[in-house]
Amino acid sequence: MNAISTSAGVGETSPPAEKAVVQRLRHVLNNALRGKPQVIEYVLACLLARGHILLEDKPGLGKTTLAKALATAVGGRFARIQCTPDLLPGDITGFNIFNQKTREFEFQPGPVFADVLLVDEINRTTPRTQSALLEAMAERQVTVDNVRYPLSETFFVMATQNPIEHHGTYPLPEAQLDRFAMKLSIGYPDRQSERDLLASAIGTCNCSPEVAEQVLQREQLHRLQEQVAHIHVAPSVQDYLIDLAERTRNHPRISLGLSPRGLLIWQRVAQAWALLQHRTFVTPDDVQAVAQPVLLVRLIIDSDPPAVLQEIISTVPVPIHSS
Amino acid sequence: MARNTATWLQPMTLLLMAITYAAVEVASDPDGIPSAFGLIFGAVAFPVAWVIGRVLTRGVPPSAWVVGRFLTGGVVSSSSCRALPRWVTGVLCLLLIGPVLMEPLLRSWTGQGLPLELQMVYGLRNFGIGLAALAAWPLYLRLSGVVSLFLMLFVAAMGDQKPIPWFLAAYAVVGSLWLMLAHTQRFGQVEPTTAATTRIARLMEQTRLWVPWRELALVMGLLVATVVVWWLGPRQTVLTLWELVPTSGGTGATDVYARQGVGDGPEEVAGDNARAAGMVETDKLIEDNKNALIDLVNDMYGPPHRPPNEQERMVAGGRADIIAFHGRLPENRRPSRHFDTSRRGPPPKRKLESLHARALFEVEGRTPLHIRQMVFERYDAGQRRWVEASRPTVKSIEPIGGDWMQIRTIETTQPWYCENERHRFKLAEPDNNLIPTPPLLQRFRIHRVDRADYYCWAYDGVLAFVGRQRLPPGIVIHTDCRTVDPARLPEHAYWRQLPMEAEALTALREVPDPWRTDLERLAYSWVGEESPGWPQITAILDRLRNEYTLDPSATPPAEHPAPVLWFLQESRRGPDYLFATAAALLLRSLGYATRVCLGYYADPDAYDRHTGHTPVRAADLHTWSEVMLRDGQWLVVEPTPGYEVLAPRLPWTERVYALLRAGFRWAADHPVLLTVLVGVGITAVLLRRRLIDSLLVLHWQLMPAASWQRMVLRCLRLMERRCRWCGHARAPSQTLTRWLGSLREVTPEDGPRLSLFICIAEQAAYAPHLPAPLPLPQLRTLCRQTLHAWSWSRLRRRIPERNPL
Repeated sequence: MNAISTSAGVGETSPPAEKAVVQRLRHVLNNALRGKPQVIEYVLACLLARGHILLEDKPGLGKTTLAKALATAVGGRFARIQCTPDLLPGDITGFNIFNQKTREFEFQPGPVFADVLLVDEINRTTPRTQSALLEAMAERQVTVDNVRYPLSETFFVMATQNPIEHHGTYPLPEAQLDRFAMKLSIGYPDRQSERDLLASAIGTCNCSPEVAEQVLQREQLHRLQEQVAHIHVAPSVQDYLIDLAERTRNHPRISLGLSPRGLLIWQRVAQAWALLQHRTFVTPDDVQAVAQPVLLVRLIIDSDPPAVLQEIISTVPVPIHSS
Repeated sequence: MARNTATWLQPMTLLLMAITYAAVEVASDPDGIPSAFGLIFGAVAFPVAWVIGRVLTRGVPPSAWVVGRFLTGGVVSSSSCRALPRWVTGVLCLLLIGPVLMEPLLRSWTGQGLPLELQMVYGLRNFGIGLAALAAWPLYLRLSGVVSLFLMLFVAAMGDQKPIPWFLAAYAVVGSLWLMLAHTQRFGQVEPTTAATTRIARLMEQTRLWVPWRELALVMGLLVATVVVWWLGPRQTVLTLWELVPTSGGTGATDVYARQGVGDGPEEVAGDNARAAGMVETDKLIEDNKNALIDLVNDMYGPPHRPPNEQERMVAGGRADIIAFHGRLPENRRPSRHFDTSRRGPPPKRKLESLHARALFEVEGRTPLHIRQMVFERYDAGQRRWVEASRPTVKSIEPIGGDWMQIRTIETTQPWYCENERHRFKLAEPDNNLIPTPPLLQRFRIHRVDRADYYCWAYDGVLAFVGRQRLPPGIVIHTDCRTVDPARLPEHAYWRQLPMEAEALTALREVPDPWRTDLERLAYSWVGEESPGWPQITAILDRLRNEYTLDPSATPPAEHPAPVLWFLQESRRGPDYLFATAAALLLRSLGYATRVCLGYYADPDAYDRHTGHTPVRAADLHTWSEVMLRDGQWLVVEPTPGYEVLAPRLPWTERVYALLRAGFRWAADHPVLLTVLVGVGITAVLLRRRLIDSLLVLHWQLMPAASWQRMVLRCLRLMERRCRWCGHARAPSQTLTRWLGSLREVTPEDGPRLSLFICIAEQAAYAPHLPAPLPLPQLRTLCRQTLHAWSWSRLRRRIPERNPL
């Protein structure tokens, strides 16, 4: 082979240090959640895109493990909220409590001030409480008694829903769903992964997998997120995104198409995906790769959503030659 | 339904333009018959336009219109469609000005051209076809409608042929449908969803106001008004529309490139203040004492003209419009544009120079043309000369009005006679009273000479003026002659071997006895097995034309007893009269009635493009043979090489047939070359894609791109085209990685190179701002290796049909 064909690294334009960080992060999370590399990639993309994830899955598939591992890996604080119908907004955002000693009200921050927040069964709490959380997700700040408290720069929410039980639930409205960057389903691991999981549990008192190590600082994560925002998106790729969005708005089986906010989120997630591929520019492959999780959370599709989305992607032409 | 609307709109636009095209073609021809070129061009242009339109719009989603934009009342622009390539504008401009650019070449190569207005119309027509191809874009859709409407207005104003109203009616019907479709398309191609139904229903009510009633009424009104005015109103009303169209001026009668200008253009006309005598037909008579045709008669029998020395017969002028001029009158003996006694008249002090004649007379009309002056029927072998024919006793000249004189009627039902040919002869300085008489003369005209007794026959087929020694200078003679296609003449059309022959005809078949044997042997050897009639005549003529040489200086020896035999058997070269004599005698020995004529030959090579006339000089004196037909007409046969006979103006079907016949003949004469060409052509067609691919690759290699990105993207296009032609086209929704990646799976050994190419191609396509990932020579080598690795044969061989790309 000549020198040309052996030139590896051509096309990969990310700095090597960054590559190593992302690779380690990937490795740590894959260790925490075995057999789901695709899910890990989506989670990482969502994290780097400063989005939030909605996990719709059955119990016991590793959602909490994943959230904990993610929080540890990025050097952040982990918090968990178990949503119930009697959960109040103050239980999420925090509240002022009167301090007898200082005779002043002190703000007790709620779990929303964590870096990684796992919200279990978000559809079980009341819409009022849901709104409080979703507002925090959108604005990255909470207002308690007219005082604004900013949240962490790397604030990341993983909300879960049980796809089976619908009794006594408060389904999230479409406008609230639009605040999530993507919707994922972890699913059951494959046989080999389950075997590895069982093997790793032997000899430990705790059945849960070991806690992940810290890979990067919060500041590093913040820098990566800023870098994602600067990933180049060619005009032809933007046109492609718009074509896809228009297709969702005109499709006969889609009641609610993609909003401009959703389009922005889609572009941002595609940028994050490009970063994960160690590129500084977005390709249509990135757009297609993140299409399903990004669109499924915000489109209202009459039936068989994956098939409809696949049909959309397979009919809209991809720009090959840039203008 | 909205989806179907867009599907039908482009074909409807092409249909509308096709009707316009056909109407323009019919209106452009005086006889209403489209030209062959026009038909072929239309047959090719519209399918090409259809294909190009489909190619350019490929990939545009059928429902590219946004419901939201429509509901907000925004203009649905083509920005939502794929953008047009930039070269489209250049092509449209080229289509528009193409006829104007081609006109100089056309006139130079073929001697024929188009008037200015037709150039403009054809340019608009081509432009309209180009716009119709782009009907998927609203702007071009509307422009094509406007252009077609303008062309139809032109047709309505200019054309008076019978099919025009039908075209107008068809255009009105199709145009109405087109308007409806174009308007419906604005609603978009969306099936309204449940949520939007109410708003759409509300908007549908409002759209009743959006129907372009005014425009529709205007279009229909214009068309109806045009048809009505043309049908009922005076011609002048219709001609006013003509004023909207720029014209080339002049009249088509005098200049084929000039059409219906305001008054005459280049033609000489008689003005009120004419100060020169030209070769014109006029009712303005200049009083002078020169040799004139028209005699000024004073109504009160006043003092006569000072009679000229020679009393020539004249035509009575009556109450003519007389211009008194007693000075020396400049004479113009040149035709047409050089001298123009125009409407305004020259300034008083301008001194006019005489323009002397450059020829005996000037011929206007198609050439070559044989113009008879003398006829010889009997050959005196002893004197070795032809004897002049006697004056015919039967006179068959009848006035038919408008100064026209009708000669004996030619049976128009005979299939070998073709349409008439008109000529004008402008005599400069005639020195006899013979009227230039072309063959198969049917009628003729001299201005103000409206009585048959002014004419006589000097010979059979040669007219003369009675009572005059010389025709007056500057006289103009119009002639209408039949043309004949000799190939259509059957055997019985010739006057041969009749049981009862008139004595006059005997002389026409007389062969000198001393030479009869030799001439018959020669003639029969030449004709061989050819059938009687034109084939035999052609055999004789071809032999003389191909195997004998024209040499005016090669005269037979004075003492030779048989000049013709000397010419035929010994010298094989000689002047034209020997050719004519030989042909006449040879044909007589085969039984045909022939004669020899002396006259002038109007040579096409002498045609003067500037004046539009063919001058005939003294040096154009010529001798030829003629064969008698059963109906008494004489068929010109030309045995002298370098001289031709005027062929009939065949209809386009005949020309196509003649062309095909000539083509088959050529093919029969060149079988090897034809086989090679056909083989090469078939190979080229079968391997056209590989050839085009090779040429494109060569172009990519030889023509460096402006940047590394363009170089890589051009290479990518080559790959894409190659895969498409091998039957493995990239799906429109397939990304680079997936498309090229599937190739990588098939041939793992080329995997690394292809992976590298994919990375570089992605960077070129989506991140052109980044610097080249490799040095330029290495990049070029990579691209070249990729093209070579995925060659035509490899793609066909290695990728099985079941493996979808």
